[in-house]
Amino acid sequence: MNTAIRYDEEHALLRAEARRWLEERFPIGRVRALADGDAGEDPADWKELGSLGWLGLCVPEKYGGAGLGAVHLSVLLEETGRRLLPCPLLSSTLAALALGQSGSEAQRERWLEPLASGESRVVLAAGSDAVWGAERADLLVARRADRFAIVPARGAGARIEPEVVLDRTRRSARVNLDAVKLDSAAFLPASADEVLAKLTPWACVALAAEMAGGADALLTLTAAYTATREQFGKPIGSFQAVKHPLVNVLIGVEGLRSLVYAAATALDAGDADAEALARMAKAKACDVYVFAASRAVQLHGGFGFTLDCDAHLYLKRAQTTRPAFGDAMHQRRWLAEKLLGLAS
Amino acid sequence: MGSSMIARVDEHESLRAEVREWIRANHPGDPGWKLPQSALEVADDRQFQWLRDWQRKLYDAGYVGAEWPSEYGGAGKPRGTQRVIDQELARGRAPFLLNLVALSWAGPVILRFGTEAQKKKFLRPLLRCDEVWCQGFSEPGAGSDLASLRTRAVRSGSEWVIDGHKVWTTLGRYADWCILLARTDESAVKHAGISYFLAPMKVPGVEVQPLVKLTGEGGFNQVIWSAARIPVEALIGREGQGWEIAMATLQFERGAAEGSAGGQFVGGPGEQVASLARLAQSLERDGRPALADPVVRDRLTAFWIEETALRANAARARIPGLVADRPEALPLQSKLASSEHGQALADFACELEGSGAALWIGDPHAPANAEWQRSYLNSFAMTIAGGTSEILRNILGERVLGQPKTR
Repeated sequence: MNTAIRYDEEHALLRAEARRWLEERFPIGRVRALADGDAGEDPADWKELGSLGWLGLCVPEKYGGAGLGAVHLSVLLEETGRRLLPCPLLSSTLAALALGQSGSEAQRERWLEPLASGESRVVLAAGSDAVWGAERADLLVARRADRFAIVPARGAGARIEPEVVLDRTRRSARVNLDAVKLDSAAFLPASADEVLAKLTPWACVALAAEMAGGADALLTLTAAYTATREQFGKPIGSFQAVKHPLVNVLIGVEGLRSLVYAAATALDAGDADAEALARMAKAKACDVYVFAASRAVQLHGGFGFTLDCDAHLYLKRAQTTRPAFGDAMHQRRWLAEKLLGLAS
Repeated sequence: MGSSMIARVDEHESLRAEVREWIRANHPGDPGWKLPQSALEVADDRQFQWLRDWQRKLYDAGYVGAEWPSEYGGAGKPRGTQRVIDQELARGRAPFLLNLVALSWAGPVILRFGTEAQKKKFLRPLLRCDEVWCQGFSEPGAGSDLASLRTRAVRSGSEWVIDGHKVWTTLGRYADWCILLARTDESAVKHAGISYFLAPMKVPGVEVQPLVKLTGEGGFNQVIWSAARIPVEALIGREGQGWEIAMATLQFERGAAEGSAGGQFVGGPGEQVASLARLAQSLERDGRPALADPVVRDRLTAFWIEETALRANAARARIPGLVADRPEALPLQSKLASSEHGQALADFACELEGSGAALWIGDPHAPANAEWQRSYLNSFAMTIAGGTSEILRNILGERVLGQPKTR
C-alpha cells in the first residue's frame, strides 16, 4: 500500500488561515453558547464560511468553487474538528462532493454555484435519521429508494423533524421525503450504490480528518490540565499512571493523522489503494477519538465528570461521529474482504 | 504548486530498479541452516562469517554507507538514497546487515563527534564489516537509570585503565571495538562525570562471557573489564562529554535521528502482517481455515491498519508542515510504536497456532518451525533495548506533551 504523502506550502497556508480564523471566531465559550441555544448555530457564520470559499473548497472552479482536493479538505476539516465547529460544513461538503461526482451536467450547473457561495444550503441525507444540518437546509441531496435526488427541504411533503441529540454542537434531524413530488430531473443519473461508491472514500477521509482534529485538541487540552493540576503536592502529569495513558493517546493521534494524509494523497492521485487507506483512516479515527475523549474525561478527574469541563463536548462528538459512513468494525470487515479475500 | 512527495518518490525509480536487479542477481539464498533473526542472535562462527560476507558484498556494490562522505568510505550519494536502498532490500527479502551497532549508531556518532583521525581510522572498516562493533552502555546496576553506571576509566600515562562490568553486549564475542561509557570523574555529579570511548576489545583484561537469551540462543554477552588498558586516543569528544554523546547515540539507536549507514529494514514494510495472513491461511480453527474466522479477520485487519499507520508515520515525518505542532513526536515514538506493534502481532500469531504454539524449533510439527514463538520471545529485545517502552513514555510525556518530570 502506497503511503506517500503530498503536502506543500498551499496546504500549510490554508491551515494557518483556517486555524487563526476558527480560533478567533469560535472560542469554546461561544461554541458552548451556540450549543445551548435553540438553533445550535449562528447564520452569520455560514455566510462567512461561504465568503472564505470553504463551502466550495472541493467544488470545481467552473462552478464557482476553489477546485481543491482531499488534502486541502483534510486540512480544513482537521482544523474545524479542533474547534467543534457548530455549522454543517461537513454535511454540505459531502453534498457538494456527491453532486460534483455524480450529478448530471445540468444539476451541477444549477446547484453547485449557490452551494459554494452559501446562498443555498445543501446537505447530504444518505439515510433517514441523524441527517446533519437538515433543519436549516434549503436542499437535500437525499436517498430515495435506489437513487439520490435533489429535494427542496421546505417544499410540500418534506417532513424534517429535529432530533434531540447528544452532541448539541452538531444538530441533526429525522427526514421523511416520501411525500415530496419530484420530476425526473431531480434524480441523479447514477444509482444510489454508484453515488455512494464514489462518495464513501471521500467521506471517510473527511470524517477521519475532522475526528483527528478533535482528538488532537483533546490531547492538548488534557496535557495542559495534567501538567498543572496538583495532588499529593505534585502536578498529576508527573505520575506515570497519568503520563503514560496520555502518551498512548499521542501515539494514536500521530498514527491517525498520518493515515488521514496518506489516504487524502491517494485520493488526489487517484490511486487504486485510496479507498482502503480511507477506510483505514476512518476505522482508526473511530478508535482513537473515542479513546482520546475517554482519557480526557478520566484524567480530568472529578472536574471531568462535570458539565463545566470541555472534555465531554468532544466525547459526545466522538461517539456520534463514529457510525457515520461506517464505524471501525464495519470498516475492518470491508477491509478484510479487500485485503484477505472473501471469508467463505 | 510546490514540491510533492510523489514527485520525489518518482525521482528514485531508476535507483529502485537498479537495486532490485542487483538483489535478483546477488541474493545469497537460503544457506540451508538456521540463520539468526537479527544481529542480536549471532551465536556461531558459521553464521557470523556468512553474514559478514553478505555485508561486504553489499558494501562493495555501494549499498552500505551510500550517503556517507566518500573520504571515509561512503558512496557520497544524496540524502534519501539509503532509505530507498533499504526499502528495496526489505522488499527483496535480503538478509540483515551484521554490523548493526556500527552502521546505525557507533558510525553516525563517530561522524558527528569524532576527530578527523577517528573518522579516517574507523568508518571504512565498519562499513565493510572488516571491523565489528559492540556497545558498552548497560550494566547490571544501570539499565533504565543509565547514568548510575559504575565502570571506571582512570588515566595512567598515555592510557586509560578500564574496570567494570557491561551487559546486553550484542556481537560482543566478535567485536573489534566497543562504544564504551565509563566514569572518569567520581567527584562530578552523576551525568557530568561520564566519558565516551572508542575502545578496543582485543586487549588484555577484556573478557567476553556469553549470556543465554530467553529463547535459549546466544549472541548476547556480558563483558568484564579488568584493568584493561586502552590508548588515550580512544576518548571521543571531551572528558565529561560522555552523557551528551550517549544521548545522541540513543537517538540513532531508536531511529529518532537520521544517519544510519544502512540495514534498517528488518521485518520490512507490510511484511509482518502479510506473513501473519499466510499463517492464518495455513492453520485450522474450529474446522475451517483460521483466515475464514470473522474474529480472526477482524484482529488481522486491525494489525494491518496499524502497520499501515506506522508506514504513513515514516512518510509524514519527512514533511515539516505536517509535524509542526509536535516536531519531536514521530521520531521519539517510532521505536516504541513499532516494537509494541511487532510484539502484539507475534503474540497473536502464537495464539492462532493453538496447541502448536507449545512446540519449539526442532519439533517436526511446530507450525512455521516455531519462528513466531521465536519472534515473540525476541520481540522483548525491542521493547527493552535502547530505552524501555516505559522510559520512552516518560520521555514523550515530558518532551512532547510538556508533563513534569517523573521522579
